[in-house]
Amino acid sequence: MDKAFLIQLAGSAAAVMALVGLAAWAKIAKPLTPLDDARARRLLAQEFPGKPLERVWVATDGRGAVARSGASALVLFELGDAYVARHIPWAQAVASSFRDGVVKIDLSDVAAPMARIALDRWPPSPREAA
Amino acid sequence: MDPIKPSFDPVTLAIPFFVLAVVLEIALARFKLARANYETRDTLASLTMGLGSNVAGLLTGGAAFAGLFVYQHRLFDIPMTALWAWVAVFLLEDLTYYGFHRISHERRFWWAAHVNHHSSQHYNLSTALRQTWTGGLAGTWALWLPLAFLGFPPAMIAIQKGISLVYQFWIHTEAIGRMPRWFEAVFNTPSHHRVHHARNPRYLDRNYAGILIVWDRLFGTFQPELDEEKCRYGIVKNLGDFNILRVAFHEWAGIGADVARDPRHALGYIFGPPGWSPDGSRDTSAKLRAQWEASRPAETPAE
Repeated sequence: MDKAFLIQLAGSAAAVMALVGLAAWAKIAKPLTPLDDARARRLLAQEFPGKPLERVWVATDGRGAVARSGASALVLFELGDAYVARHIPWAQAVASSFRDGVVKIDLSDVAAPMARIALDRWPPSPREAA
Repeated sequence: MDPIKPSFDPVTLAIPFFVLAVVLEIALARFKLARANYETRDTLASLTMGLGSNVAGLLTGGAAFAGLFVYQHRLFDIPMTALWAWVAVFLLEDLTYYGFHRISHERRFWWAAHVNHHSSQHYNLSTALRQTWTGGLAGTWALWLPLAFLGFPPAMIAIQKGISLVYQFWIHTEAIGRMPRWFEAVFNTPSHHRVHHARNPRYLDRNYAGILIVWDRLFGTFQPELDEEKCRYGIVKNLGDFNILRVAFHEWAGIGADVARDPRHALGYIFGPPGWSPDGSRDTSAKLRAQWEASRPAETPAE
């Protein structure tokens, strides 16, 4: 790498930090309000069109939701000012570990390995999940 | 003009403009004078990808050697000083870009190098700078070699590629609604490119254009932005965090995992469309589009 390139790289890095600082100062992320049942259902329907939502568990902090759709679990969680969604086998979701009010769901996906959803309890009772 | 080494790099020259434009977009959004959303960690990821792509570009010097080799065996001598030659390279480079961009969406190997550009759920000028780190390794630069074989000097091709990249910066914004109708008809615009970055099934794999949208109109991949269907940005399966290594390499890791688990179907996993699986259990763009088409209410025929 020549000196000119290194100077340009250093200048670009400084510009990156300045722009990130400016973006943080501006506070212009998309406004997010905690999920409620209706909004969680709307977002899940948008992410998984055509999949019936038999039961939806909304996170206690409103930052995610888990739904049952037949043999699938539909998982939705907040990331920054947006949401990430995945569907996994229901049995896999039920087997997820639950500690201190948070269920850690293994999504088996290198692009989004894990979802953490705050719930009162997990897994739901068979009657609840039916 | 040196036919081998470009006398200038449009992208390097445009960096101060890129920075000022991002500042302007943020400022206008801050004072509610324009539409734009910036999330801090997302912005950091996008700009770091841009910074890293400069370094990654150094590792792909092989492309320059290949271009030079092919140019030495060229069919014609095309002068860099002729206006017609610049018009021709503009059109042919833009057509090549269309092909490159289309294959980068429709085949997983090249999608793995391109997906990072689409992995933000935002659409702003910082998204434009969310550039690949692995594009050179994916070898798509080979698509430009026929231009050198025709006789376009490598410097001319490099300059035109740079002009195209600079042009494509300003279209990554929600601050601009629609351009005049004649402009929308011919050129790629913020409206057309918003569709390209959207993950709504209707919008998937559409509007591959670089500068001229006419290629999409010609090859049947054009989709106008519809007022009744707001673009939802990102990828079909959005990333679960802002980890820069995940942004840069997640699809490559996914290919590796699939091939390791099921080597018998390696070719399908590598060169099939993104989302391909042997049993069809995963979602490709075509499948998502078909599902969406099937779920649409039947349209009433016009009277």
